[in-house]
Amino acid sequence: MRLLLALFALCLVATGACAEDLVSGLSQDQIQITSNYAGTDIVVFGAIESPETSQAEAPRDVVVVVRGPDADFAVRRKARVAGIWINRDKISLYGMPAYYYVASTRPLAKIAADSTLSQYQIGVSNLRPKGESTRSPRKGEPFRLAAIRLRERQKLYTDAPAGVEFLGYSLFRVRVPVPASVATGEYAVQVYLFRDGNVVSAQTTPLFVDQIGLERRLFRFAHGRPFWYGLATVAMAILLGWGSSFLFRRQA
Amino acid sequence: MEIYLPIAEMSVHWLVLLGMGAAVGFLSGMFGVGGGFLLTPLLIFYGVPAEVAVATTASHLTASSMSGAVAQWRRRVIDFKMAGVMLAGGLAGTVLGVQLFALLRRVGQADIVISAGYVILLGSVGGLMLNESLRTLRAAKAATPGAAAERHNWIHGLPLKMRFRTSRLYISVIPPIVLGLIVGILSSILGVGGGFVIVPAMIYLLRMPTSVVVGTSLVQIVFVTAMTTILHAASDFSVDIVLALFLILGGVIGAQYGVRIAARMKGEMLRLLLAVLVLAVGARLLYGLVITPRELYTVAVGTP
Repeated sequence: MRLLLALFALCLVATGACAEDLVSGLSQDQIQITSNYAGTDIVVFGAIESPETSQAEAPRDVVVVVRGPDADFAVRRKARVAGIWINRDKISLYGMPAYYYVASTRPLAKIAADSTLSQYQIGVSNLRPKGESTRSPRKGEPFRLAAIRLRERQKLYTDAPAGVEFLGYSLFRVRVPVPASVATGEYAVQVYLFRDGNVVSAQTTPLFVDQIGLERRLFRFAHGRPFWYGLATVAMAILLGWGSSFLFRRQA
Repeated sequence: MEIYLPIAEMSVHWLVLLGMGAAVGFLSGMFGVGGGFLLTPLLIFYGVPAEVAVATTASHLTASSMSGAVAQWRRRVIDFKMAGVMLAGGLAGTVLGVQLFALLRRVGQADIVISAGYVILLGSVGGLMLNESLRTLRAAKAATPGAAAERHNWIHGLPLKMRFRTSRLYISVIPPIVLGLIVGILSSILGVGGGFVIVPAMIYLLRMPTSVVVGTSLVQIVFVTAMTTILHAASDFSVDIVLALFLILGGVIGAQYGVRIAARMKGEMLRLLLAVLVLAVGARLLYGLVITPRELYTVAVGTP
């Protein structure tokens, strides 16, 4: 709430700069996910400043995109070979976002034309890799769609057509859920203001996502010093096994 | 309370993990087996990635076989020399298996090979056990003493002979080494201890006294599964220490109850039950390989 007021104050002071414009902010510019529960939320706040224009004018829409760091996907398709389903074809998609969330005031199709949305990579179905391991787009398309479908199922890609919540006429808020399995790194929070199907204003804010907690430390241990991690696991197993044999003896 | 498994990358309630460990521990205590062949498929059915299931089960087996080995060691029924010779093959097999596993993972066929390997292994072992236990049950009814035909053993013709005092044997080191090698590969690819392969082989092939077989195989399994765990951790980061901890804790509790139940049941009955269980798990895995999957595509992140 304090943040909302701060935003409000900012716009009242700097009305000139904000006219017909957009201000936005995040609840935090660096989030630390403790991974021992289902995930966390980040909140994107913002305000549209257009005091002179009347409310009945052309429809305005806000679209908020949270885009994770780029990742490479290896997408495989199963096929039946001698009665058994095995992985057959593989296509790599280079530079897909590891995480993608888009919230809007209305369904995206009603806000702007496909070509506009595609140009800004707005909308889950408009996500395209920066490169592919195949030259033929026709061959790659089903793999791209499958990757998007699977990421959506894991809640790592999300379309939230009514995710932008207006608090009054000019203030808006978006709650972005971040699952525990999210990638760490630099995210980009992009806020777009649409009028008549065109982007009239846009703003990008970086967001750093870091995971903390014991589980994250273990993950780093496993990847940073894998041999010692393996040794530690074995030591734990041997000690517990040894200990349990004492338990057995005492009861026998 | 939900617990996040850092390597499997999933949130699971800790009671579910403890319960799975306890269920497998119970069965392994009851039947006197390591339980790897039950735990790995169970984890896969639950949604744990196959490679994490295999590698983490190995560490669970280190703990359970350690517990058993200590108990056998107190009774002084371990042939350490034989265990050492088998380990020479076992460690080599582990190195080979982990490399093969990494290759399978790179080409995206690890899941399928694990499932198919289990179907073959469980199908043949379960079939043999079912056949055997049905025969003994029938034989017990007919009250005819089953006379095992004493065949001449080709093992004695092999070179590189060595004396094993505890087992009172003078045999070639080749069969134990080969046996170890097979178990090492099985352990690293399928996440099984391989007790159900080496125990019969030690009795029928090497002709070791039954009293030392269990302890000796347990010592060998401790080292092979420990090696499997370390190599998997180092080569493909697939060991989940949090998952391992809960499975081991559950296993320790479950095994005690299993042993108690087993004491009240008839041996043949137990073996029949185990055979049915093994075949059921195998059939479920086969079903998974044959039916048309709901989703034909999979995505692996960061491995282009």
